[in-house]
Amino acid sequence: MNRRALLAAPALLSIARPARAADRIKIGMLKPNIVTVIYWIAVKTGAFQKQGLEVIENPFPSGQTAAGIEQLMRGGLDFYLGASGEVAHADSRYVEAGKPPPIALIEGGIAGGSFFVMREDLKGKSLDDLRGQTLRIGISNPSSFHLILLRSFLRERGLTTDDLKWRFMTIGGPEMLPAMVSHQLDGFLHDALTTTLALRANVGFVFMSSDRGDMGPRAKLLPGTGVCANRAFVKANPDVARRFTRALRDASAAYAAAPRSEMVAIMSEWSRQDPAVIDAMYERFDPRVGLTRESAQTWWDILGAAMLARGEITPKLALTDVFDLDFLKQGA
Amino acid sequence: MNSIQPISAEAPNDSAAVRVDFDRHVRMAERHLRWRRFWRGAVGVFAILLAWQTMSWAFDLEILLPPPLTVLRNVVLTLAVSEPHWLYGPNIYVHLWHSFLRAMAGFGSAALIAIPMGLVLGRVVVLREFVMPPIKGIYPIPGIAWIPLAILWFGLGDAAVIFVVFATTFFPMFFSTEAGARQINPVIIDAGRCFGARGVSLFFRVILPATVPYIITGLRISLGGAWRMIVAGEMLASQDGIGYFLMESRFQFKAVDLMTAMILVAIVGYATETLIVDTIEQRTIEKWEIRPS
Repeated sequence: MNRRALLAAPALLSIARPARAADRIKIGMLKPNIVTVIYWIAVKTGAFQKQGLEVIENPFPSGQTAAGIEQLMRGGLDFYLGASGEVAHADSRYVEAGKPPPIALIEGGIAGGSFFVMREDLKGKSLDDLRGQTLRIGISNPSSFHLILLRSFLRERGLTTDDLKWRFMTIGGPEMLPAMVSHQLDGFLHDALTTTLALRANVGFVFMSSDRGDMGPRAKLLPGTGVCANRAFVKANPDVARRFTRALRDASAAYAAAPRSEMVAIMSEWSRQDPAVIDAMYERFDPRVGLTRESAQTWWDILGAAMLARGEITPKLALTDVFDLDFLKQGA
Repeated sequence: MNSIQPISAEAPNDSAAVRVDFDRHVRMAERHLRWRRFWRGAVGVFAILLAWQTMSWAFDLEILLPPPLTVLRNVVLTLAVSEPHWLYGPNIYVHLWHSFLRAMAGFGSAALIAIPMGLVLGRVVVLREFVMPPIKGIYPIPGIAWIPLAILWFGLGDAAVIFVVFATTFFPMFFSTEAGARQINPVIIDAGRCFGARGVSLFFRVILPATVPYIITGLRISLGGAWRMIVAGEMLASQDGIGYFLMESRFQFKAVDLMTAMILVAIVGYATETLIVDTIEQRTIEKWEIRPS
């Protein structure tokens, strides 16, 4: 008995010893927004806690990615979920001025999920049929990932958005559906959630989808979710940054393993949408992260090239200025 | 003792000559005053530019706070339509023209309603007592708060922006006109009546001229408000105009373009004020011989 007690003592002592204080990180994200749901899955599955991280949440409304990136650049945030194109824009300004880029993409979604929805009565028309018509297309912001992807698709066909003669109207994601219903928009470029809402309301149909291969065979590889970091923070706290990305990957694994109903509930809570809507969207959307170097290269070849062609980024900007490859997985 | 000197025939004792001399003195004094104002103003502007340049350079803020010379160069390139990577749709003149049209539509429609309404309510006590409480209740609502409702009512486009400009510019013009009409010295009204002015003639010959300085002040305040609101409105509910240019440059993280847009708003705002309000002021002064406010 005494020997048992003696053996158990170190174990008991280790339990009694206070746990190491969690590292506190400031994370910004678009909220409510489905592309950032992996953050909430990580919170709900305890992935951050398991990695010894305490997160301070800084939400930004849909369409306000620039505000989040500005905060990240200033050091007001350590990480930001939601953007990818804006990272290139911001870094480009620094590279142009001969300074090191302040932020980097360190992780991203494994699937694109970019959708182009048009109003019902345009069904059956091709892009060539619609070219030249005065259509009003909603975009969440002028540097929207979906718009850049469309520009890239058009560029491969020797066209620009100006050639289409359409009006791209900046409107928040949640307002796109009401705008379609009230005929203020003829279509929109947005994510799987807004698309699902439009389909359920019978106000539109999927005109193009990256997952379906309508925007080119490689478009489905593009990350719909960008996870970026302040480079100075990553340099000073490489271990924290690693644990942060690991937490997001753990959350992705938990998503894959969990029953659908459980994840629907989490996603519904984060996006403030009816679980039935999330359930209908489920097959159309994959929130998991796990960006590979190959996907980063695809991003650069497609989106980077489109931005470069339009003069949005400087030719001096390199892939490694936008992505921190040390954090990305090797292999497809 | 000094003896009184006789006035020589050549002395400028002639009143016309004295007047000429006096006028010359006044002109010189005015010129001196203008020059003094100019150089003092120039020193003020130069000091700000110097502080701006120094801050930008000393704190390594070229990206977040581009130096004045860079901004000036960008303004010139933008106005010359020779910016090599123009990311903002139509050229700057189209943006400015659309903003101008929207601002004038909102400002003009507000003036058409606010000025007559202010004149009537300023003079008719019964109406004033009925109408003023709801107007005073709506007045504190900031113009920007009308934007979501304007989008809901009018959709995304010009009408929503024009409406928020209207909602912002109406009140300064109305309150200023109403105060002017209300505070006319009764002696002036009585004098007008003594000279036979009644009804419409009293309004056009006494009340309106006496209120003009207040109306001009209201127009001036409102026009500044129109430009402030046009930028906010276009940032949220428009696909062109100077507000849209400003918004898109933010998404491109181009602080130099942001500042260019701001400078252009200042220039156009100043120009429209000079062209519109100063012209109205000048005309009314000539017509009714009113001293400027």
